[in-house]
Amino acid sequence: MLNKRKSIRNLTLAALLLTGAAAPAQTTGSGVINATLFNKNGISLQFDTDASGVTLGAAGTSAASANLGTISAFGPLSGGVTRPTVTAASFTVRTIFDVQVVQGGLASANYTLTANLAAVAPTGFTYKVDAVTLSTAAQTIQTNGTYNTDVAHNLDLVVSTAVPGAGGPAVGTPITATINFTATAN
Amino acid sequence: MKKLALLTIFAALMMISSAAFAQTTANGTLTVTATVTGSIQLVFNSDASGVALASGAGTNTATLAFGNVSAFGAVAAGVVRTTTATTFTVSSAVDVLVAKTNSASANYTLKAQLGAADAVNTWSVGGVAVTNAAQSTLTATGTYAANSNFPVAITVPFTAASGTAISNTINYTATAN
Repeated sequence: MLNKRKSIRNLTLAALLLTGAAAPAQTTGSGVINATLFNKNGISLQFDTDASGVTLGAAGTSAASANLGTISAFGPLSGGVTRPTVTAASFTVRTIFDVQVVQGGLASANYTLTANLAAVAPTGFTYKVDAVTLSTAAQTIQTNGTYNTDVAHNLDLVVSTAVPGAGGPAVGTPITATINFTATAN
Repeated sequence: MKKLALLTIFAALMMISSAAFAQTTANGTLTVTATVTGSIQLVFNSDASGVALASGAGTNTATLAFGNVSAFGAVAAGVVRTTTATTFTVSSAVDVLVAKTNSASANYTLKAQLGAADAVNTWSVGGVAVTNAAQSTLTATGTYAANSNFPVAITVPFTAASGTAISNTINYTATAN
């Protein structure tokens, strides 16, 4: 009960002091602001062009684009695009892109990178990142990503050699797919 | 008073926890674009009945070596020889394989042309005379994805000096129909 009274007294005094500071009779005033800052920790992800891959559109951001240009099983390819394999059923074209995850204020040692297709892959196409086949469900690409540095990843497009209408991709028109990436601090 | 303190501590903990775990994920989107085109490929393969390609089997740059040839002497395995009163012809089976991808083409046209003129000897591929003047059509209805034998033949006159090396390049072109 005594403590409660003391608290009330102290609060009253504080209120009076504040009121006094605002009173017009005073020509000087002083006050103390106890400011508390919360360091908002977090991570960010951006795509960077890899020296061995195609030049990304909007590199350095989290919404980049990679245009592999015209691709075929036997014809010429754009710079930064390679063709690791050709079989009777499919051919694979590859480019390399970098992911950089920056962290601040975290004690996290590394991060996990997952990826998923935003929509079902176009007919005749299979998308892989570092040999992991993508679907609309998140797939783990890496579990120990290093922060604050470009980490190279292979992007493979496996293309059916079948003709359009028989399981093969549309020919002669650009085909686009969006891959969503998520980096999670470990 | 105790309740007040507990509430204060709880609120502080809530703030700390939300600050610690609010942003431990980051997202990005990569838009990937590619345009598929149909394509065909031509490779040479050794034919079981002919001379084994000296190099480049399975590629589009191969070497066919007949070895020593003559009108009447021994010839290498796989070499077929015919003679006339003034010339002899040696030939070897050579397989051409044309593959297609992402194409509705039903067949292909195959043409060949000598890389350099040969004023002495006569060349043919698949029974069709080839020169360096223009492309010769070997077939207009080639079958995809199958080895097709187009024998390479050289007709040599008896007047050719012994020890003469005969060499030329035959350029093949397959075109999807």
